[in-house]
Amino acid sequence: MPTPRQIQVTVNGRRYESTVEPRLTLADYLRHEISLPGTHVGCEHGVCGACTVLWNGRAVRSCIMLAVQADGSEITTVEGLATDGALNPIQQAFLEEHGLQCGFCTPGFLMTVTEMLEHNPNPSDEEIYDYLGGQICRCTGYQSILAAVRSAIQKKASA
Amino acid sequence: MKPAPFEYAAPDNLEEVVSLLEENEGDAKVLSGGQSLMPLLNMRLARPEVLVDLARVPGLDYVREDDGLLVIGAMTRQRTVELSPIVGEGHPLVLEATRNVAHPQNRNQGTFGGSLAHADPSAEYPALAVALGAKLKAVGPDGEREIDADEFFVTYLTTDLEAAEVLTEVRIPKLPAGAAWSFTELARRHGDYALAGVASYFSRGDDGKVADARIVLFGVGATPVRATKAEQELIGQTPGAAVFESVRKAVLDDVEEPQTDVHASAEQRRSLAAVLTQRGLVDAARRAGISL
Amino acid sequence: MRIPNKIEDLPTSTNRFIGKEVERVEDRQLLTGRTEFIDNVSLPGMLHCAILRSPNAHARIVSIDTAAAEAMPGVVAIVTGKDALELTLPMQTVPEGWGTHCLATDRVRYVGEPVVAVAATSRYVAEDALEEIVVEYDPLPPVVDTEKAAESAPIYDEHESNVVFQRTFTWGEVDAAFASADHVLTEKFRWHRLGANPLECNGVVSEWDPADGTVTARGSFQSQVNMGLLSAGALQVPSNKMRIISQPHGGSFGGKGGPRGTIITALLSRKAGGRPVKWIEDRMEYLAGGAGQSWDRYYEVSLALQKDGTISGLRVKLLDDLGASAEGFGAVSAAKPLAAFTGPYKIPVAEYDLTLVATNKLPQSPYRGMGPPPHNWVLEQMVDLAANHLDLDPGEIRRRNFIPKDAFPYTIPSGNDYDSGDYEAALDAVLEMGDYASLRAEQEEARKQGRYLGIGLVNTIEPGVFDWNAYAIVGSQQTGVPEGATVGIDIMGKIVAKVGFSLEGQGQYTVISQVLADYFGVEMSDVRVVPQDSLSAPPHFGPGGSRLGVAITGAVLGAADILREKLIRVGANLMQTQPETLELGDGMIRIPGVAEAQIPVAQVAATMLARSDLLPEGMDPNPEATYVWTAPGRTPADEQGRAKSYLTAANACHLVLVEVDRDTAEVKILKYFIADDCGTRLNPATCEGMTQGGVAQGVGAALLEEYVYDDDGQLLTSTFMDYLMPTIYEVPMTDKKALVTPSPFTPLGAKGMGEGALHTTPAAVMCAINDALRPLAVKAHEVPASPKRLWALLNP
Repeated sequence: MPTPRQIQVTVNGRRYESTVEPRLTLADYLRHEISLPGTHVGCEHGVCGACTVLWNGRAVRSCIMLAVQADGSEITTVEGLATDGALNPIQQAFLEEHGLQCGFCTPGFLMTVTEMLEHNPNPSDEEIYDYLGGQICRCTGYQSILAAVRSAIQKKASA
Repeated sequence: MKPAPFEYAAPDNLEEVVSLLEENEGDAKVLSGGQSLMPLLNMRLARPEVLVDLARVPGLDYVREDDGLLVIGAMTRQRTVELSPIVGEGHPLVLEATRNVAHPQNRNQGTFGGSLAHADPSAEYPALAVALGAKLKAVGPDGEREIDADEFFVTYLTTDLEAAEVLTEVRIPKLPAGAAWSFTELARRHGDYALAGVASYFSRGDDGKVADARIVLFGVGATPVRATKAEQELIGQTPGAAVFESVRKAVLDDVEEPQTDVHASAEQRRSLAAVLTQRGLVDAARRAGISL
Repeated sequence: MRIPNKIEDLPTSTNRFIGKEVERVEDRQLLTGRTEFIDNVSLPGMLHCAILRSPNAHARIVSIDTAAAEAMPGVVAIVTGKDALELTLPMQTVPEGWGTHCLATDRVRYVGEPVVAVAATSRYVAEDALEEIVVEYDPLPPVVDTEKAAESAPIYDEHESNVVFQRTFTWGEVDAAFASADHVLTEKFRWHRLGANPLECNGVVSEWDPADGTVTARGSFQSQVNMGLLSAGALQVPSNKMRIISQPHGGSFGGKGGPRGTIITALLSRKAGGRPVKWIEDRMEYLAGGAGQSWDRYYEVSLALQKDGTISGLRVKLLDDLGASAEGFGAVSAAKPLAAFTGPYKIPVAEYDLTLVATNKLPQSPYRGMGPPPHNWVLEQMVDLAANHLDLDPGEIRRRNFIPKDAFPYTIPSGNDYDSGDYEAALDAVLEMGDYASLRAEQEEARKQGRYLGIGLVNTIEPGVFDWNAYAIVGSQQTGVPEGATVGIDIMGKIVAKVGFSLEGQGQYTVISQVLADYFGVEMSDVRVVPQDSLSAPPHFGPGGSRLGVAITGAVLGAADILREKLIRVGANLMQTQPETLELGDGMIRIPGVAEAQIPVAQVAATMLARSDLLPEGMDPNPEATYVWTAPGRTPADEQGRAKSYLTAANACHLVLVEVDRDTAEVKILKYFIADDCGTRLNPATCEGMTQGGVAQGVGAALLEEYVYDDDGQLLTSTFMDYLMPTIYEVPMTDKKALVTPSPFTPLGAKGMGEGALHTTPAAVMCAINDALRPLAVKAHEVPASPKRLWALLNP
């Protein structure tokens, strides 16, 4: 049996210390070890983007990252976006623009859009497509998601 | 889809990395960004005994210029390359290739060196390295050595690196001054591995004729393919539609054994490589302000 | 019973919510990651299941050795085909007799078929255990080629051939129509396997209580009652001892899976002494062995055509490859086109020559729309070929064949009725939206520059509100599909609606809240929808067949009406008047026209619960009512399969401009316009989202998605790297216009609308591709129209 590893991870501002098997994926760690199941798993091979989280501020696929790789990092998940139940401007935009249907892919989209708008508060269409192109949604056909992103840009600009 | 068990080591120096690889020869695998390795682990198609994570080794994450060369540490995230002002200002082919690598969510994690060491013949960076004549620095039990990109890619997913060697740095020459360049690929979907692609540039002498040219194809063989016949068609000629057409035809000869798979036939890949080369040259010329 | 057919007939002076683009009640939890999907469920003592699957397309199982796996720390239970034989029946199939047990018993018939299942303390350990199991196979020649399946050695010993079903249905004097036609056009088409692929795969947690023999299964189940009947049947558990709890799930599109996972985990739980066992299907399991493959079809289609463009007959010959069993309703998919066989056209006679074969591939499963997407895809291409043959504009030939708007209800040759519609209006709307003439001019101009632009213009019908009668011809039972709701008002005046289905993405809880808020004059936030398990809920089916929006509206309106009558009886007592003088309106029980003579509904309801002395004699004091809605007027199938099955017929017209790159064989969608009519729009934003989502799946079908098997029956597209889901780059942003022809027969005039764009988009894109290719004299009759296929066509 491989040697378990100690890790320290700050998730949504809270510090966790855990002992994990080296092979445990970050997605499984978040969902099943520290009970943050809002990060969803859709393909487990890095294509669909449902499991996207922020790793030191950057959007990454948590299904193709090991928990041990996150040792010493800061992770933000969908659970870290709203404050006391109040939706943040990106979530609010998705709500208003019907940017979700089944909602399974939504946490990944929200995290990706979060990084995008941190990186550039006023992204071009080309940049928006570049980011959203890495997230698969099976329900919406993306039109309402695109509208939500554009609305989020406005909301953040006027906030 | 959960990985089989493995030991994990995250040394904080290269010597330890090398000795771990040496001790576990053949059973150890280097983890850099993991964008290719992790899916294989999840599918249990890769089954190392030991995973050696390079992320804790300091000093492998940088983009700088040195002697006119672009120098990139092997553990530099692709996203860092993409956003680097040095790359943005002086290395357009590197930037364009990077933008074609998968998606931002992958580039945030995937590394420059990891993609090269993985050596997928449909990936962008191997072709880029060959096109620009990059030198790849590796450290192993016998110390450091430098490998020409031409020599680095041996076959499908296989490089010249020994089992206990690890890629540390890539040194990339600048494009010749005033060179016309292009990076073009066709994939089933944006961000997928290319069905075929081409990294190319040419520069002209004072007479307006092509003095130097590089055309490197990807997705059409077991390694990046240097289209030498096509380069010869271009060199010495004045860029123009007729020349580019003969370059296109020459590419058909340069491509030897493209793979057939569910997404494209061998013949289609050969043809695509030729068409994309031709289109790339037109784009390159247009971008360089060359009237055709 | 008064179920309003129009929004204006609701007991409110203005509808504040229904018919409006309201915020969905489902979304806040989804947006904060708080919705309880099945993999979030964790029960005390829960074990995790992994399934060993066949690597062979066809083989006999010689031996299975699980000893080493059983000895592994953390492994608690293992089940094989031996357990399945002992404890279960084969899974139910349509037609009957073409099924297997949940785990292979003596032979495997497709790559990915479950062979052994392990329950262990974690999924990681369970997968480790699979590697220690040794299965010896004796390979058999696989039947892979659909067209040769009928002549190949049968894959079931108990059947003489691999033909599961063969029959020709004739509706009217078809031979005569073809004999008297001015032109007869015949073409072949091939639609490759693709499928639902919701972002969340299948998942279940089962508990088999060894003390009382009850089974409880929680899961991402589309239909609780269906899952209950199918799994109880296989497990030989009485239906009332099988409790099914549907968790919110991450999409389904029909592809959420049959009962195998439930049966296997129940067997494991039984062996593990009743501990709960969770199985979360992973994506590779889904692609190779899940409910994600549909419609593997070879078509030969003929049109009888008159000089003036009138289509006087339609013949469709379909060979459909069901895969290794009939457990997944593939046969039902082939029968569904009967509900709209001749599309929006007044084609008087038709024939359906239907052959279903079994092969060594994954059994087909349902996918959004069931059968019509490929059917419409061939029909619309034939109409385009007819237009081209007669040198008519594709819009003009359609116009000449449309069922006129004054002809409804209209019975089509295959027996179903269309309720209402105005097909020319949809065509006109789209032509105007897209400025059709300018698109043709753009195409003309492009051709001069050596670019190949193509225009697709197609019209389709979406049969809505499904009914099993449509599928009787392939051996399905002929029953209606009930949907029930219980609506109650609590002592604080808040409303609770109890239903038998969970969240799946279509926003039905929002519709329920809209309807009840307007009906009782409260805010939407005063309504709470609570899902009930299969044993607690009123009779139900859940989402499926473009049905639930209409059906649940009927159910809650029916329950609300019963409740209204109760409230009025009590109100009459309180106001010392006769019930006939009272009405419910704007949240009040009131005497019409007498301003002060009114009592709030909340007060009446509270009185019922608190003051039995104020109730009429014999009055049921519960301010709650249950109603089960079924579609009215549905009829059983006759000997030719003709039935009144689907209650509504929505219609749509799509107009698309594509460009085919002559050299790379790439297809790009440049412009896309949609006019669609699904009657009253209960929540227009949701309708628009359903349509756009269907377009995305249609683009996937037309250009990207495909399961490829090699000659040995090995799946070559076993990951999302090779099974290509559309991304934002491939899906066009569409211009949409809503037309509204309310159904005369449904609650509030709504029509089923969840599937229509997938019925239409593959046809529209394909017609556009062929329009682009016309100058090159090649025809593309295969989807997906991938660069590989088109390149081969363009470079023969």
